[in-house]
Amino acid sequence: MEDVIRGFGLILEFKNILLIFGGVLVGVLVGALPGLSSPMAIALLMPFTISLDPVASISMMAALYCAGTFGGSITAILINAPGAPPAVATALDGYQMAKKGEPGRALGLAAIASVLGGIFAIFIFLLATPLLAEIALKFGPVEYFGLTLFALSMLAAMSGKSSIRNLIAGVMGVLVSTIGVHLATGVERFDFGVDELTEGIKFVPVLIGLFAMSELLNQSKTLNDAVERMSAKALKLPTLAELKKLKGTILRSSGLGTFIGILPAEGSTVAAMMGYNEAKRWSKEPEKFGTGSPEGIVGPEAANNAAAGGAMVPTLALGIPGSGTTALILAALVMHGFRPGPYLITETPHLVYAIFGAMLFANFGFLGIGLVGAKFFSYVTFVPKRFLWPSVFIFSLIGSYAYSSAIFDVWVMLLSGIIGYFALRNGFSPAPFVMGLILGKMVEETFTQSMVIYENNFLNFFDSGVFIFFFILTFVSLSTPFWGKIRKKFSSAK
Amino acid sequence: MSNESNFAPKKTGAKSFHRKDLILAIILVAFGAFVYSEANKFPPAPLVLGDTINADVFPKILVVILIFLTAIIPFEFKITPEKVAKIDKERDDKTIPITWITIVMLLTIVSLANFLGAVLTMFVTCLIFPLVWGEKNYIAVAIYAILFPGFVYLLFNQLLGLYFEPGLMEIFKK
Repeated sequence: MEDVIRGFGLILEFKNILLIFGGVLVGVLVGALPGLSSPMAIALLMPFTISLDPVASISMMAALYCAGTFGGSITAILINAPGAPPAVATALDGYQMAKKGEPGRALGLAAIASVLGGIFAIFIFLLATPLLAEIALKFGPVEYFGLTLFALSMLAAMSGKSSIRNLIAGVMGVLVSTIGVHLATGVERFDFGVDELTEGIKFVPVLIGLFAMSELLNQSKTLNDAVERMSAKALKLPTLAELKKLKGTILRSSGLGTFIGILPAEGSTVAAMMGYNEAKRWSKEPEKFGTGSPEGIVGPEAANNAAAGGAMVPTLALGIPGSGTTALILAALVMHGFRPGPYLITETPHLVYAIFGAMLFANFGFLGIGLVGAKFFSYVTFVPKRFLWPSVFIFSLIGSYAYSSAIFDVWVMLLSGIIGYFALRNGFSPAPFVMGLILGKMVEETFTQSMVIYENNFLNFFDSGVFIFFFILTFVSLSTPFWGKIRKKFSSAK
Repeated sequence: MSNESNFAPKKTGAKSFHRKDLILAIILVAFGAFVYSEANKFPPAPLVLGDTINADVFPKILVVILIFLTAIIPFEFKITPEKVAKIDKERDDKTIPITWITIVMLLTIVSLANFLGAVLTMFVTCLIFPLVWGEKNYIAVAIYAILFPGFVYLLFNQLLGLYFEPGLMEIFKK
C-alpha cells in the first residue's frame, strides 16, 4: 500500500502531471493523424527523455500509448481513415453513424467505451502484475529461456501480413541484437572494424528509422490523397440508459481485450477486431452492424483500449512486451537503467504504480480532451503531408542524433528506415523485428546460462516442467496459423 | 493446329514456386550464409572461462532457423494464398519516382548534415521537401522553412539544452 501511495504521489507532482498531460495530447494528436502512430511518437520522444526523471518519462510514454489508441478513433469516425490500425474496426460502424448525422454521438460512444475498457484493464494490471512477477521470481534461466522462446513464437500469430515473415523479421531482430561484444566471452561480433558497432546497434535510432522513416517513404506515394471529413461540433456522451444497454458489450470486450493484451506479441488491433466480432455475435441486432450500430463502436473501442492496458502486464512483470508499443516502453525502461521483469516490482514497485497512475490519469485525460477538442483533432487531418512529413524527418534527425551525439546513429536511423520500407513492401512488419531486437539479448543470455547449467545439452532443458510447458505453448503457437488451413483442406477433401 | 490456338494464352500448370519470393529467399539465404561464415571467424572462448558457450553458437543457431523459415517463403503462396496475394498487390504497386527521389534527398541531407550544421540542415529540409513534393504555395513554404527550424532550435537548443552542430553557421559566427 505504501508503494501505491508513493507511486501515485510521484504522479501528482505538478511537473509530472504536465508531462503526462503532454503525453495524452501528443498521443491523441498522433493517433488522429493517419500515418503517424504511437510507436512512432514514443520512438521519437525516447531520446529526449534521457535527461528526464525516469518515472516522469515512462509515465508520459504510458499516457501517450493509452491516448494514441483513442486518437485513432477520431479520424476513423470522422473521415473513415483510422489514424491507427486498432481503430480499423471502429470505422466500420463509427463512420456510418457519423454519416447519418451523429458524429458527436459516435465519438462519445468511442470515448466512453475506451475509458471503461482502459480502466478495466488497469485494475487487472494492478492485480495481475505482482502475481505474475511473484511466479516469475521463481524462474531460473531455463524457464526464462522457455518464456522468451514462447514470446518470440507468438510473433507468428502477431497481426501482420504473414506468420512466416513475422517470424523471419523476429529472427532478424534477434540476429541484429548479437552485434557487438559477446558478454560471456568478450569476443567482438559482426563489428567489421567499425568502432561504433562494438557496443552493438543502439535500438533507439533503429526504432525511429523503422517507425518514422519507412512511413515517410510510404506517405510520399500518397501526397495528393484527399479526405472527406464529417464535421463534429463536440463529443456527445451517451446517456445512462444507453450505457446500461451497452454494458454487456463493454464488459465482454474489456475482458477479451485485456486477455489478448496480456498475451505476448498480440496487440490492440487483434483485440479490436475480436471485440467487434464478439459484439456482433452476442448482439440481438447483428444485422445492424456496418450501418452505424452503437455496439459496433463500443465493442472494438473497449477491447483495443483494454488491450493497451493488458499489454503492460507481461511487459512490466516478465520483461516480455505485449505489443509493438510496449516493446518501445520496455526499451525506454532499459534506457533508463531499469531491469524490466519481476525485479522491477520487487526493487522499484513505486515505478510500476506510477505507470498505473499515469495510465489511469491518461484515460480521464483523453476523455476530457475528447469532450472539448474533438473538433480541433478532426482539423489536424488538414495539415498538408508536404509540411507534416519533413517535420517528422527533422524530429527523427534530432532524436537519433541526440541519443548519443553521433552522426553514425543518424545513418543507422536512415538506413533502418530505407530497409524497413522495402521490407514492409515484401510483407515484413517492423513490430516483430523490434520485439526480436529488444528480446534478443535476454534470449541469448538465458540460453547461454541454461546451457552452462545443463552441461551444454539442450535436451536436459526438458528436466524443467516449466520449460516443457512453454515449449508446448511455443509449438502450439507456431502451428496455430496453419491449423485452420489444414482443417479446411481436410474438410474439402472429404 | 488452328491459327486461333497459336494466339490463345498458354495454359501453364500450377506454379511450383513464387518467383519474387524465390528471389527474396535467395537474398535472405545469401545473407544467412554471409553471417554464418563471419561467425566461423570468431575465436573460441578462452579456457579460463570453462564450459561457456562460444560466441558463434547463438548466431549460427539463428542463421539455421532463418534459412529454414526462408525456405518456406517461395512456397508460402500455396499455404496462405490470400495473404501472399495481398503482399503481391503491394509489391506490384511499383515504387514511384517521387519515393526514389525522396530516398536520394534523405541520403543527401544526412550526408551534408555535418557540413551544414543542425539549423541549416533543418532549413534546407523544410525548403526542399515541400517543393520537391509539389507544393505550389511558395510563401507558405518560405514561412515554414524559417519558422519551423526556429521553433525546433528554440525548443531543443535554448530550452532543453541540446547541442546543435554549428557547421557552416560557424563561419557567420566568426
